[in-house]
Amino acid sequence: MPRIVQLPDHVANQIAAGEVVERPVAVVKELVENSLDAGASRIEIEFRQGGKRLIRVTDNGGGMDPEDAVACLERHATSKISSADDLNHIASFGFRGEALPSIASVSDFLLRSRPPEAEVGTEVRVTRGRRSQPQACGMSPGTHIEVARLFNTVPARRKFLKTDRTEAAHITHLCRLLAVAHPEVAFTLIENGRQVFRSPECANLRERVQEIYGQRLGQELLELKPAEESHAGGTYRVWGLLGEPGVGRATRADMLAYVNRRPVDSRVLQYALIEAYHSYLPSGRYPVAYLFIDVPPMTVDVNVHPAKREVRFREEEFLRRFIMEAVLEQLRHATRQTLKRAERVEDFTPAPEAENEEAEDGAEAPEAAPTVQPAPAPRTVLPKAAQPTERPGTAPAPSRERSRSAARATPPPPVQKAAPARSQAVETPARRETPAPAPQARPTPPTHPQPKAPASSEPAPSRLAWRLLGIVQERYAWLETREGVVCLNLRAAQERVTYERIEASEREAEQASQTLLFPLSLELSPLEADTVERHRDFWPSLGFTFEPFGKHFYRISSIPSWFEPEAAVDYLHDLIGLVREQGSRSFKADDARDSALRLAVRRIARISPLPNEAEVLPLAESLLRCRQPLTSPDWRPTFFEVRKSEIDQRLGL
Amino acid sequence: MKFKINRDHFTSGLQQVLNVVGTRATMPILSNVLINAEDGHITLTTTNLDLGIRCQIRSEVTEKGTITLPVRKLATIVRDLPSLDVEVETYSNQQAKISSGTSTFRIMGISADEFPPLPTFADQHSFMLRQDELERMLKSVSYAQSSDETRYIMNGVYFNFEDEKLTLAATDGRRLAVMSKELEVTEENAGSLILPAKTVSEVERLLGQGETVRIAFNDRQVAFEISSATDSDDKGLMDNIYLVSKVVEGKYPNYRQVIPKENDQHLKVNRESFLSCVRRAALVTTDKNHAIKVHVHDNTLEITGESSEFGNSNVTLLVEYNGPGVTVAFNPNYIIEPLKALTRDEVIFEFKDELSPGVIRTPDSFLCVIMPLRLT
Repeated sequence: MPRIVQLPDHVANQIAAGEVVERPVAVVKELVENSLDAGASRIEIEFRQGGKRLIRVTDNGGGMDPEDAVACLERHATSKISSADDLNHIASFGFRGEALPSIASVSDFLLRSRPPEAEVGTEVRVTRGRRSQPQACGMSPGTHIEVARLFNTVPARRKFLKTDRTEAAHITHLCRLLAVAHPEVAFTLIENGRQVFRSPECANLRERVQEIYGQRLGQELLELKPAEESHAGGTYRVWGLLGEPGVGRATRADMLAYVNRRPVDSRVLQYALIEAYHSYLPSGRYPVAYLFIDVPPMTVDVNVHPAKREVRFREEEFLRRFIMEAVLEQLRHATRQTLKRAERVEDFTPAPEAENEEAEDGAEAPEAAPTVQPAPAPRTVLPKAAQPTERPGTAPAPSRERSRSAARATPPPPVQKAAPARSQAVETPARRETPAPAPQARPTPPTHPQPKAPASSEPAPSRLAWRLLGIVQERYAWLETREGVVCLNLRAAQERVTYERIEASEREAEQASQTLLFPLSLELSPLEADTVERHRDFWPSLGFTFEPFGKHFYRISSIPSWFEPEAAVDYLHDLIGLVREQGSRSFKADDARDSALRLAVRRIARISPLPNEAEVLPLAESLLRCRQPLTSPDWRPTFFEVRKSEIDQRLGL
Repeated sequence: MKFKINRDHFTSGLQQVLNVVGTRATMPILSNVLINAEDGHITLTTTNLDLGIRCQIRSEVTEKGTITLPVRKLATIVRDLPSLDVEVETYSNQQAKISSGTSTFRIMGISADEFPPLPTFADQHSFMLRQDELERMLKSVSYAQSSDETRYIMNGVYFNFEDEKLTLAATDGRRLAVMSKELEVTEENAGSLILPAKTVSEVERLLGQGETVRIAFNDRQVAFEISSATDSDDKGLMDNIYLVSKVVEGKYPNYRQVIPKENDQHLKVNRESFLSCVRRAALVTTDKNHAIKVHVHDNTLEITGESSEFGNSNVTLLVEYNGPGVTVAFNPNYIIEPLKALTRDEVIFEFKDELSPGVIRTPDSFLCVIMPLRLT
């Protein structure tokens, strides 16, 4: 009697189920992906008891006729590919033809399906591996699948399931992921009869993210504008939503990446993101991102993992660079946007442009004036008047950016004329802050009594459109800006400015090292001395020169020129410590330098006095010239802004 | 206590003592000025415990007494009084009434008993100097003091009375300024002290009001008696302004050994033109890269600056020099500051090679050692 036998289909299916259907969430994934592949625009997912009791997915997609409804339950039966060559062009989510038979083999399975053109649907049941005869049933177009008593035929697998709550959490997470990937599809998720979320068809990704993850997160995200690049014959596209610089999470959980709309865990993509955020996030924090990448189907292998969570890219290097560049560009842009608000109006409306603007303003005046004049409350004047006059140069970005740039724009002169001068209690300070070139270019009509007008034509003494209100508790400066007030953390700002100054000096071609009148002595532990000896060439590159002066004793004869001598010794100690720690691994001079630099800046900050009132504005100016002005070197925010609108809101205005 | 005083006299007196008071005094009494009315004058005293100043102003005192009043507020009030005639009267509850013309103020004060007395000490050493000379000497070196508080020893100007001369020195470890002058120093009177930076600036401010200044000091304290001229513009000041301060305790670094003795190359240069050349060359440097190079060759002093941000500069000056060509890099501020503080028309610039310090000298025994920058 032969010992090797061909396994019957239902056994093979159960084995396959072990791979594909690991836990309830896998069932949901397969079913929802089928629905998406079927072109559904509405998907409803319902589950009970973490999906162990019941999983029901209903869609309004293409549906199947009676033959297909039976055929789809056969192993390796699929409509998605037909030859091995198709594997290179997989544009659908599923393709193996394993999911349905596998699921059916380990549960009580019910399939109902009706193509839109058919009059009735087909119902097929599979119970304990046995398929019922297809029957006609009444239903709306689409497909409806119920998976009840999952793993009832494989009790061992059942035992490995986690609690209902854990399984439910997995399902919810997955549904959110999928819903975010397909804003154009309406999603409903129901757990134990209770609605978890419902999101109608959304116009864009941001709306969907707001629906699913909350308004606030949605608003805080930056839009990663679609970027495209051709490489090796295919077109790569990236877009999505990104967390603002400085906004990070403790885990990678909020870094979501989709390849061809398929949620994936990809090292390549994660590293690209983390690297792009390198100078925008503290180390150890991870970015928030909804990153979408479209790649040519033949360059990605999704057939690596049964659940297709992992993918492989053929052009990893290119992809990494492409994503990094796109993300970095966006982050820089975002930083610039924040900074732009601090610039003087003159800075981005040079004199020659004023002429064009006059014409533009004139053209817009009829539109603006009616909005203004009937407005009963003065406070509504500024935003409304300002909105239609966004500068051509300031690219009105969607939503959040718009409100910023709107308030930034100068109130156009025609509106000034139309508005009664005295009633503009709110507008007056705004005008003083935004000394438009207008008064110089063409004198304000004398018929228009404007008490603040002479003030506004005076050249602002500072380059900033910020005005110091005062220093609070010696540590924080409050400044008035065009859009509200800014609270500046003086220490953090100082640290950032010092940090970038030193960093820049280290990048200069010629580094200056200050020789000392009185050599400083440096006493080291044996371990430290060993480190010093092993990395002999490193220290001079930083501007330190020292020679041995006894056992574990050194004389420092020159130090980096930006340093105070005594602080330099402490800095050197720190640096040696860091290098020693890293020594066991591969020694990275840059990392050691960077962390030591941070320490150095802290040290310098501690001994230097905080700026007084006269020094705040120059400090703010140099801060805003920094590459990364929003945080201190160790990632504390340097300032925050409270908008006028927020103040109004809080005061109930 | 009751006295009549000229408003401007009162103001100038308060100005003399005002600076000592810190903005955030830990003891409220330290923000106050002690007013002591005596025969024909009032005495104003302030202190921050490290440094105290006392001065006397002419006044018509009708009733003797003492009180302390918040000095900054008092100074603003007095300055803004409408009439030159000011009358001050105190009440038992530590209030002072200040009346002038049609205005009257009542100011809350603190009892004078709580005011810490200025330290008195037995002078071990005492010297008499001319105010203008000491002022010039201080200004010639004080810029070189260290501001790094961790090297507190260098946070001041070193006074050394020895070998028939007074030598002042200041250094921050990167440059050293030294100036000396002939002075009669007896053996038992010889000694040295480190005058703290804050006191240096106060003394610099107070000097120049009269002819002479007497310095008396011991190991812990120093006192300056600065005579005030009564004849010139009348500020109402009487007698001496008395300033007493703690000294920086410790051993000043041996600055003599770092003055280079082997600088064999030197050239004479006009101070003003040297100064403006260095300034000009430094215009393109940034605070990130604060370095200029001084090249000396064939009767030419060439100063260059460079930064990746702005570009470079090249400024030349004709000098008498025919030694070997030498290039040294310096922090321009370290050259600018002494040149600015000096008054002589001509200075001598000494150097040796690119790793040796540069020295600026004048014939009146001033010298400034400047350590070079090593460019890598």
